[in-house]
Amino acid sequence: MSKKRTGVFVCHCGNNIAATVDVARVAQEMAGEESVVCAKDYVYMCSDPGQNAVIQAIKDNQLDSVVVSCCSPTLHEKTFRDNARAAGLNEFTCEIANIREQCAWVHKDRAKATEKAIKISRSAVRRVSGAKSLEPIGIGVTRRVLVIGGGIAGIQASLDLANAGLEVVLVEKQATLGGHMIQLSETFPTLDCSQCILSPKMVEVSRHPKIKLMTYSELQEVSGYVGNFKAKILKKPTYVDPEKCKICDDCSQVCPVVVPNQYDLNLTARRAIHIPYAQAIPASYTLDIKACLGLNPVVCGKCKDACEAQAINYDMQPETVVEDVGAIIVATGFDLYGQEKLGEFGQGKIEDVLDGLQFERLCSASGPTKGRILRPSDHTEPKDVVFIQCVGSRDPARHCAYCSKICCMYTAKHASLYKHHVPDGRAWVFYIDIRSGGKGYEEFVQRTMEEDEAIYLRGRVSTLYQQNGKIRVMGTDTLSGENVEIDADMVVLALAMQPSAGTAEAAKVLKIGRDKDGFLAEAHPKLKPVESVTVGVYLAGTAQGPKDIPETVSQASAAAAKAIILLSQDRLTHAPTVAQVRKSHCTGCEMCVDACPYEAIHLENGKAVVNDVLCEGCGTCSATCVRAAIEVKNATPMQMNQMIEAVLGF
Amino acid sequence: MSRQGDWNLNPMSETYEPKIVAFLCKWCSSAGSDLAGVSRIQYPANATPITVACSGSVSPQYVLSAFKKGADGVLVSGCHIGDCHYMEGNYHARRKLYLVKELLEFTGVEPERFRMSWVSAAEGAKFAQVVRDFVDDLRPLGSQDKMRNEPT
Amino acid sequence: MIRIEDIRTQARDILETGEVRAVIGWRRGSRGMAAEPVLISQPEEAESLVWDPTCFHNLSLNLVQERKRLARKGMASNKPLALVAKGCDARSVTVLLQENHFRREDVYVLGVSCEGSGVLDERKLARVLDGLTPDSAAYDGDDYVFQTEEGEKRLPAREVMADRCLECRSAYPRLNNAVFGEEKTRGLEAPFAALSRFEQNRGAERWDFWKRQFERCIRCFACRSVCPLCYCEECVVDSIRLEVTPETTADEKANRIRWIERSASRSDNFGYHMTRALHLAGRCIDCAECERVCPVHIPLRLLNNKLEREAREKFGYEPGASVDLPALVSSFRDDDPNEFIR
Repeated sequence: MSKKRTGVFVCHCGNNIAATVDVARVAQEMAGEESVVCAKDYVYMCSDPGQNAVIQAIKDNQLDSVVVSCCSPTLHEKTFRDNARAAGLNEFTCEIANIREQCAWVHKDRAKATEKAIKISRSAVRRVSGAKSLEPIGIGVTRRVLVIGGGIAGIQASLDLANAGLEVVLVEKQATLGGHMIQLSETFPTLDCSQCILSPKMVEVSRHPKIKLMTYSELQEVSGYVGNFKAKILKKPTYVDPEKCKICDDCSQVCPVVVPNQYDLNLTARRAIHIPYAQAIPASYTLDIKACLGLNPVVCGKCKDACEAQAINYDMQPETVVEDVGAIIVATGFDLYGQEKLGEFGQGKIEDVLDGLQFERLCSASGPTKGRILRPSDHTEPKDVVFIQCVGSRDPARHCAYCSKICCMYTAKHASLYKHHVPDGRAWVFYIDIRSGGKGYEEFVQRTMEEDEAIYLRGRVSTLYQQNGKIRVMGTDTLSGENVEIDADMVVLALAMQPSAGTAEAAKVLKIGRDKDGFLAEAHPKLKPVESVTVGVYLAGTAQGPKDIPETVSQASAAAAKAIILLSQDRLTHAPTVAQVRKSHCTGCEMCVDACPYEAIHLENGKAVVNDVLCEGCGTCSATCVRAAIEVKNATPMQMNQMIEAVLGF
Repeated sequence: MSRQGDWNLNPMSETYEPKIVAFLCKWCSSAGSDLAGVSRIQYPANATPITVACSGSVSPQYVLSAFKKGADGVLVSGCHIGDCHYMEGNYHARRKLYLVKELLEFTGVEPERFRMSWVSAAEGAKFAQVVRDFVDDLRPLGSQDKMRNEPT
Repeated sequence: MIRIEDIRTQARDILETGEVRAVIGWRRGSRGMAAEPVLISQPEEAESLVWDPTCFHNLSLNLVQERKRLARKGMASNKPLALVAKGCDARSVTVLLQENHFRREDVYVLGVSCEGSGVLDERKLARVLDGLTPDSAAYDGDDYVFQTEEGEKRLPAREVMADRCLECRSAYPRLNNAVFGEEKTRGLEAPFAALSRFEQNRGAERWDFWKRQFERCIRCFACRSVCPLCYCEECVVDSIRLEVTPETTADEKANRIRWIERSASRSDNFGYHMTRALHLAGRCIDCAECERVCPVHIPLRLLNNKLEREAREKFGYEPGASVDLPALVSSFRDDDPNEFIR
């Protein structure tokens, strides 16, 4: 290493530093360092004259590096690095020695504080003597965004992105947009119709020139990095050309195969060729190949014969497309906790024990009962309905430890809707406590209790079983301390929300973390709530954690905004202080690969290779490597060694 | 393992000024130390900070090296668990440096000489207290002669 | 009981069929009764292989050395290399695979479950035999049996067995292509018994002990040379030799960090042994070869054992248990010890 020509500039900060630290002595001591060619002190280094003095000194002394002993680098590191650059230096050879916050302000003894300031300054001098000139890493960007999931979160994010002028590829696994929201009847606390507010957005997506909608499609692989992802997407054949399909329903009339309709939570049946909902987008039928007797017209072929529009094409093949995108938004949503795991509530085997989504379908005008609340078993109107909250939630011993957040509100909505449908019925609600934070939420719950006269019982249900055509619910009212037995006609379980199966798959494909409950992990719990740990991958909706529709929409817009910010630049820049591998010493043991929080390291021909764009320079790899084969630029073990020496008075 | 009271204490202990190397992560502990400064919370000048990107970047070699070069105490301070700027660095630091701590103690080095703390950017007072406590604990031990280079 | 004929037959077979390039095993040595490592490549050489309680060596070292030898010659091996491996040795092969030093298909493990026979501790034996030099050693399922000039001599295993074998928790080589001997472990002493005994000492006593040890170390680096996991081309403590490759920068050549000097001062010895122990944390599988070959008898096993016990008890990490696990220090758990942190 050729010897550096370093300049040291010690700031008095008026009296802030100079009152406690003998700044002249610090400058004098630094002048004695081998690499230092000029050392000065000045009353306010950050003032215009101070800054100009630094620039002048750089030019006069042909400095190649600078140390400024002053306040915290959080305040003026940028100032002095900009100056260094203005004077023709590389800004990464400029370091700040913090002798104010970490020295002058916290000590009174002048001699001791001065000694410490010397050590701090000297360690910065030694650090820059090993510093290299570095240039920020520039990355080109693809100004397109992949949105995974076509529920309300994905729809909102896609519209925001597209309206900002970015191209969007929206991938949805099901045959239609809409996710769970399209299944809901009314939404709390305003009781506006879910389909009525969602359908226009679905239509907008389908018509938006900037949005490429890919339903019935699955994300298979993602490679690349921020600004430059390549996403491989499998488009499954629907066997129906959506351009030609007139949704006349002739095909399903002749289809001989009947299977449970998952869009109605299996409360109804559908044909192999079907349309999920009347409002489905794209407005087209889909042939469920798993249910179909076979595409060979010899076997069946009835639908194709029936289709006058000739929209049905048995020769449609699965198609894999690769999309280049610069950012990705994951909005893969939730599933309800499985009823089969609930022994005390009949394991999902009792017909009139429903989950919340099934009850939504019963209330929905487009649902299996055309909006009449009827028991699935005998189609009679239930007169006693028991709603049980926190089923599978808040039960760390057996189920999910977390609170699913929306169940208090939707149970209140269910009880209220039920009472509107069946005014002479009784709605019983078992709850642990009511969590109704949100605009108008508490008032809604109160209305449900007072105006709709839902009977709220504070306590848990221990078990339920079928008896004489009823469901006997055994519970406790912990307020009165009495056991409660209700012969219910119907029971509705407010099941825990859990990350959807697709969420786990997406996390795997995208290599982004999940939390202990399986929800997508945000990069920082407070300050980066919509960023994933992978730069350029953002999170929206219930895949990240339980939340209601307004929160989901907010988060989706936030994720879109983050992507827009990212892609508003022509080129991204990345700090060049990244890890580098000493190939001669690397044995390919992969310890750094495993330790890297950013998956920025991989092996190539048996040696570690760092992806500069993904590396954040934390240095965990360097401290993990037992072979001294990887180090962070400008924070090398060599520099650390010299800083330790400086601190200990060598 | 017995932890206290079985080392010979230095009779000069009250006046001894221990030399401490303090590795502070940039995002939390160094920021916490800045806050102590902004709040003018006074603490002894014995600990000289070396700011690193992340506690996870502190190699055991740095700790051993500091002792070899004559440190009386070494402090490594990072973000609280779950708050690491790099998500996981402090978990890695905790595991690796736990091993260092155990090994030092095992060979009979006074356990007070190596210390770790989690200090957030909002914990200026805590940072000052960590340093105060460390200095108080190190003073009675006197100079660290076990690992340092022998005088030549 | 393990029949050496079985091992020889298998070795001969795999050499004859060409399934492996060579077999690393033990043969009768030239020093007293002790066996010595041998690499055989001809089927007929299989006859020279032996198995007895003097098969101390962890032959995965020879595997590593053979790889280095080939690499130096610029040769690539297209066939696997076989080695005879005790339970402990097989675990070090596992670590080598875990660290990608070998691919599984490059190694053929002739596993020997020693069935609790363990290996001898020559120093214990010398003390007990008091000048008598045996010609051979065998294990009869209970005791060690020695042939000496004064006839047969039997000694209880407990008296002369190596400490790590007394404390062995699994003599069975889980990683193997073929295995000889039954899945049987004697465990005459609790795991980490010697370590626990040492830890009875108070801090100051421990320091007096280690101070003595570190003052005695002559830095011959035998511990490092014999360790199959010290396979780095350049050790962090070496400041005189640097592997220079086209990628080596001028900086690297000119500036070496001398974390630890090569001279045998107490502080440098301390630094060396601490660094070695830390670098082996979660990797050392307690073959105790370092301790066996130390010419000044430093009980190095204690240092490695200490960290192995911490790994197991505090981190639930078992060195050499699985090829697919990340390393001890490149992984973590939420409930890692935290109470030591302020």
